Amino acid sequence: MTRSQTDIEVAIDWLVLLQGDTVTEDDWRAFDAWLTASPAHALAYDQAQAFDQRLDLDARLVERAPSVTATASTNVIALRPTRRVWLWSAGSAIAAAFVAGAVLLPGSGLLGGRETRYVTGVGERRTIALEDGTRIELNAASRLTVRFERNARHVRMDDAQAFFDVAKDSRRPFLIEAGDTQVRVVGTRFDVRHRDGQVAVAVQRGLVEVRPASAAPVRLRPGQGLSHVEGQDDARVATVPVDEVTGWRQGRLIYRDRPLSEIVGDLNRLFPRPVKLADARAADMRLSGVLIVDEQDAMVGRLSHLLPVRTTTTNDAIVIRAR
Amino acid sequence: MIRLYGERRANLVRIFAARLRSVAEAEDLVQDLFLKVQALGELEVEGDGSALLFRMANNLMLDRLRSQARAGARDENWRGLQTTTLGDQPVADAPSAEDVVAGRQRLDVMMATLETLPTQVAKAFTLHKLDGLSHAETAVAMGVSRSAIEKHVSAALKALMAKLP
Repeated sequence: MTRSQTDIEVAIDWLVLLQGDTVTEDDWRAFDAWLTASPAHALAYDQAQAFDQRLDLDARLVERAPSVTATASTNVIALRPTRRVWLWSAGSAIAAAFVAGAVLLPGSGLLGGRETRYVTGVGERRTIALEDGTRIELNAASRLTVRFERNARHVRMDDAQAFFDVAKDSRRPFLIEAGDTQVRVVGTRFDVRHRDGQVAVAVQRGLVEVRPASAAPVRLRPGQGLSHVEGQDDARVATVPVDEVTGWRQGRLIYRDRPLSEIVGDLNRLFPRPVKLADARAADMRLSGVLIVDEQDAMVGRLSHLLPVRTTTTNDAIVIRAR
Repeated sequence: MIRLYGERRANLVRIFAARLRSVAEAEDLVQDLFLKVQALGELEVEGDGSALLFRMANNLMLDRLRSQARAGARDENWRGLQTTTLGDQPVADAPSAEDVVAGRQRLDVMMATLETLPTQVAKAFTLHKLDGLSHAETAVAMGVSRSAIEKHVSAALKALMAKLP
């Protein structure tokens, strides 16, 4: 038996123990000591855990897969929750029209479509309810335009991030233009981020077709994401933690190995007082973790606990430099 | 406390991901824990503070397990009702046809492997993993101790991990 197999077996024992109903402080200490004893232990444990989650997923997948007899009734019931969303949306449509500063432009579309522009300011987040039942949650400092035509629903995202819950309408596909990238769906839930020349799409539910200019169209399934740098020929498709990507909807910014420059960009969309990076070393630092969105000072303070940086606050800016 | 938290953060995520069955949830919990730790400030604590850290984390986890039980049921109902299509291609919501086929194949291997194991081991694993009983509930169902269940589940997982990709 090889060394690594032994580690895996020990790791499985730990995993099962930790999944138990009563884990004691002694268990925690012993596990912590085992993990700390060798990096191979942590690796083995992470493998065992990933394997176990895969099994859970398989078990649920097969349970949930529609059987032939279940399909018909499923389709019938499907109307109910959809309609509830519609009703709920109708109320907020009126609210959204006022608060999101909606501007109605005269029908400029070739097909007589009506164009509406939605804008959020720094630190502002809005939910927009469209006439077809689609809901768009617009993150801070974002701009997008909606145009409905007889055969298609169009959204153009300028500098923006938004989460879409698209109402199903098979005769009118929902098309999103984010820079040089086009996203096409019929009815589904997903996040699109178009910032600083980069486009990222993450799918929570349904099927989404993404076509970056000069790259082949890609179909994304739930849990998949695509990232693309505008102007480049390729796009990267990967499994993404969608709940993390859409954490902003719950006031949480979740990062996995992201540069501090990106995090500062996000902060500057949330608060009017600018955060500046004093040096390139700080800008290149990588962060993994969750930032809860509350007060700007508190958020910057937490950053300085997570990374080796020092912050200086003045009346009109917060400066972050490497420590 | 904050330093202790920093040193233990990665391991805490591992501990809580086991019970919450999601690394993302565990990350979230550990961040909540950070806020609590930060609120304590430079409080003098007995020993190295790890006992307190563990208790705080454990309480957060129990809260979360309770709300997870509620949210889980709701989400499951919702998901069961959603179907969608792209063009003329029907899509059974979350699981795609390939996912289901691949999942089924893995389950077949799982079942075949379980059959080669002692009956008690296979039964404990099936009750816990497929029927979703907790260790304690499985122990009651089979009339054996909880530690026996944990040994069985462990043995089954080891056998499966050797067989499945």
